[in-house]
Amino acid sequence: MDELIEQFVIEARELVQQASDDLLSLEADPGNRERLESAFRAVHTLKGSVGLFDLGPMQGVLHHAEDLLSHARAGTIAVDTSLIDPLLAVVEWVDDSIDGIAQTGRLCETQERQAARLLGLVKADMTSRETDERPSSPTAIPDWASSLRQHLSPDDSHGTLVAFRYEPHPECFFNGDDPFATLTRLPDLRHMAISLKQPASSLQIFDPFRCNLIIEGISGGPLQHVEREFRLIPDQVELVVITGIVAQIDQRLAAADRQTTVMRVDPARIDALVEIAGELVTAKNGLIPLADEARGHDNAALARRIGASHQEIERLVASLYSAVTRARLIPLEQTFRRFPRLVRETSMKLAKAVDLIIEGETVEADREIVENLFEPLLHLIRNSLDHGVEADVERRQASKSTRGRILLSARQRGDRIEIEVADDGRGMDPMRIRTAAIDRGVVTEDQAALLSENEALQLVFAPGFSTASTISDLSGRGVGLDVVQRSIQRLGGTVEMNSSAGSGTSFMLKLPTSFSMSQLMVVEVGAERYGIPIADVIETQKLLGSAVQSVRAGQAFILRDRTIPLVHLADLLQVPRTAERLHADLKILIVRAAGDQIGIAVDVIAERAETLTRPLTGLLQGVPGIAGTTLLGDGRVLLVLNLEELIR
Amino acid sequence: MTVAVNTTAIHLTGACGVEEVEMLLECLQKHPSLPVDLSGATAIHTALWQALMVFRPKLTEVPTSSLIGEKVILALSAYFRQNTEL
Repeated sequence: MDELIEQFVIEARELVQQASDDLLSLEADPGNRERLESAFRAVHTLKGSVGLFDLGPMQGVLHHAEDLLSHARAGTIAVDTSLIDPLLAVVEWVDDSIDGIAQTGRLCETQERQAARLLGLVKADMTSRETDERPSSPTAIPDWASSLRQHLSPDDSHGTLVAFRYEPHPECFFNGDDPFATLTRLPDLRHMAISLKQPASSLQIFDPFRCNLIIEGISGGPLQHVEREFRLIPDQVELVVITGIVAQIDQRLAAADRQTTVMRVDPARIDALVEIAGELVTAKNGLIPLADEARGHDNAALARRIGASHQEIERLVASLYSAVTRARLIPLEQTFRRFPRLVRETSMKLAKAVDLIIEGETVEADREIVENLFEPLLHLIRNSLDHGVEADVERRQASKSTRGRILLSARQRGDRIEIEVADDGRGMDPMRIRTAAIDRGVVTEDQAALLSENEALQLVFAPGFSTASTISDLSGRGVGLDVVQRSIQRLGGTVEMNSSAGSGTSFMLKLPTSFSMSQLMVVEVGAERYGIPIADVIETQKLLGSAVQSVRAGQAFILRDRTIPLVHLADLLQVPRTAERLHADLKILIVRAAGDQIGIAVDVIAERAETLTRPLTGLLQGVPGIAGTTLLGDGRVLLVLNLEELIR
Repeated sequence: MTVAVNTTAIHLTGACGVEEVEMLLECLQKHPSLPVDLSGATAIHTALWQALMVFRPKLTEVPTSSLIGEKVILALSAYFRQNTEL
């Protein structure tokens, strides 16, 4: 891809997101000056970048969108849905076009065809609204007025001030207007600034009879007197009362300061650092066999020294590692911010009024986790919208507020994060779920009868389960909650669901904040070696072959008066069991899986290793029972098992 | 004549209306190095100010009788300062 286009695509995505965030929060809070400014800046910058390429009508559309926003800034049109809807449509259109532009470097035909409609939207808005609204609304203080204010000395800025921006009509000299003469009649003119609307391009073609001026200034008021002087030319003048705006300016400056402390780094560079830190961990582990070797050569002093530097390096590597992992942390906001627009669109499609409440978006987690949360969260939120929140009528019958509510909240718990997706909809009925699960062959009738209410609810996570009676465009795409659960597990997390019929459903996702270093136990089965997270292992036991009892098709043994089922790792992994070991001593890991203790027989329990386990990517991603891979000290790759998944 | 040229300056005198702008323009084009003396002017039409803004001659002597003149001169010199790089 062309480098320039590549840059553009990155920037455009950010700007689109920014604009859409700002517009949505303006919709909820029309007086929010900062958001309006930010939306304007985003659209303005976007228009500028678009201008670098041949993107057909996109620039024109953005230009009109920018116009609308600048009128809103000046206070000449109101900030309301009839302003925000067309602007959001434009932003969405740009968003949809970016992928195509990334591939071809130009606007694709279907997108281009929509441009006319959008242009109509933003233009219609302009003409129909141009003259409503008085310009002196106290919440709207345009930039030009704010910057004028800074020209006044503090002694001068008492009382009510009226800022004016006067753009004389180009033909005004022919009408007998003399703008500066008009200004002499203004009461108490304290400051004035003049500039040219279009910079003087060439002295040869300068037309002295066309007025090309913008005159801005501040009058000591009162407003009525200023208005009276401009009464004949209201269309050429903007007036703003600017008392007490110093605090606002300060705030904005402070915000600008804050932004500059953040440095943008290509994530690939940080990944490279993490990778190196990970390799250092493995390289460091290589010192232990070295110390052993020295000890074997009767050189205890050398062994001790190697041991000591191993410890020192271990400490340093650990702090290096935690520093680079911190650099990979990004706020959940990066994913959360994409939802307001989606919820807005979807709820409109479903004709349900839904408020999305987002909390805790500043909580941070590893980039990979934050980015991979989008799909599962999207699925949960769509589920809430589609199946959770009831239609208007149904809500009223249940004496609920007609506006549905979906809560997306995150909080930090130690080194883990908890994310909750909750709605105040109809909730799930354990009975219905039980019936549906039986119908779909997920469980048998006998099994279903034994399930508690809570256990019955968890059936929704079973593969192939979906209770929606009609397949909708939204969540009935054959992707069930089992996929959500699997993708969360892949990130090292868990999903729990709670629901009470009539009052809503809540999903609780618990995830690690980052892929931290973990202790692994290395085991051997036949000729193969696998890693098992030590956190999964309760204890290890040696067992005489004769102590194993056959129980129906399976095997079990007694440990401290408890019967514990026994499985062979070789069977779980479908590796041939070594025959001669069949009657020898068994080496057993006692692990906890599905709430019970289970014994897992392995051939050899080898060393322990401290490594960084990374989730599988690409083709391996779908392999069940494998939690990830890690590099060993000797450079070999070790598969890390997810026992719970294997046993199930 | 409210717009006049001699060897040292272009002079504006009396009430300078919009119709003087062509004359001023001609002077500015012919004598780009001459300063403009505003001291004799009692009123200066916006069109003339605009021409001064575009041609940027050196301005000597502000008009004394017009209140607005002072503010315009201030604003003009601020504009010139900001745009010197152009």
